[in-house]
Amino acid sequence: MRYVDEYRDAELGRAVAGEILAAVESGRHYKVMEVCGGHTHSIYKYGVDDLLPDNVELVHGPGCPVCVIPMGRVDDGIAIAHQPGVIFTCFGDMLRVPGSDGTLLDAKAQGADVRMVYSPLDALRLARENPDREVVFFAIGFETTAPSTALTLKRAKSEGVRNFSCVCNHVTIVPPLRALLESPDLRLDGFIGPGHVATVVGARPFQFIPADYGRPVVVAGFEPLDILQAIHMILAQLGDGRCEVENQYKRVVPWEGNLKALEVMAEVFELRPHFEWRGLGFISQSALRLSDAYAGLDAEQRFSAPGVRVADP
Amino acid sequence: MRVVAIDEARGLALCEPDDGPRSTIEIGLVEAAPGDRLLVHAGTALVRLEAAA
Repeated sequence: MRYVDEYRDAELGRAVAGEILAAVESGRHYKVMEVCGGHTHSIYKYGVDDLLPDNVELVHGPGCPVCVIPMGRVDDGIAIAHQPGVIFTCFGDMLRVPGSDGTLLDAKAQGADVRMVYSPLDALRLARENPDREVVFFAIGFETTAPSTALTLKRAKSEGVRNFSCVCNHVTIVPPLRALLESPDLRLDGFIGPGHVATVVGARPFQFIPADYGRPVVVAGFEPLDILQAIHMILAQLGDGRCEVENQYKRVVPWEGNLKALEVMAEVFELRPHFEWRGLGFISQSALRLSDAYAGLDAEQRFSAPGVRVADP
Repeated sequence: MRVVAIDEARGLALCEPDDGPRSTIEIGLVEAAPGDRLLVHAGTALVRLEAAA
């Protein structure tokens, strides 16, 4: 399979692992954060960490949307799902995320009409097919997923689909990274940048990490060789005394990102002043809500929900 | 996913993965033509792979 098989070559993987071994200084411990949950998944799926020297440690970052959504937002979704006439839609990985008193899957078992969709377009189709029902899409994800929600909301608005609305939980990647870097206890030597977020925002937004915090960043793809090469590139920067943003994932990530996606996001969304992240607390301007032009499609305005902060267990 | 057909009026494409069923993909963010390979996330094409490479 093109773009995949060549990045899973075990022999090449062992060769890059050898170059990583040659690049590390003995007696030095390296900590590299993979920002994106997709990287974490690949690291464990392919055993990437088993190929690394003992003194290269991978640290998991905040880039998993379902991991960081706070319980209060899940409670709000469940409350909307239980309202009469509502078809509540979400991605499958959201169904088992716990709120303070159960999950969306539990709500479904209790009679709420909760349905898994693969894309917001599926939710909009449900709205067209069920004009006597209110179809709510529970939107989660970073800048990778936000354009899909934005385009669907534009479609709903232009088509005049009045029984469709969205609970917007989209978050942005730079504020939590800056919050992590501001932590006095944090010791990281470099970052594997989130490849799919970067397809939308580009590599440029990560320049603050070397510029303000003196850490290298390598935007990387998700196959095992991508990750190994990114680690080697970070170690090479450290060895050379360089500190910059490099793009290992050039076959997918343009430096400037997807300008059309950024444009549609700017039209449909605006920054929330504050948003809570599970495990990280409140982070300023780290999440999106619908702009005034799309307020008519905002489920948080259409339905009543508790809107209560629930402390992490 | 590979583009099978384009519905220009609706800004959608019929696409097929290397394994699995065909599906309708939003192509409002990329220039796509039949035969192109797209990186798709949540039903939306984010990148035309040949264009980015």
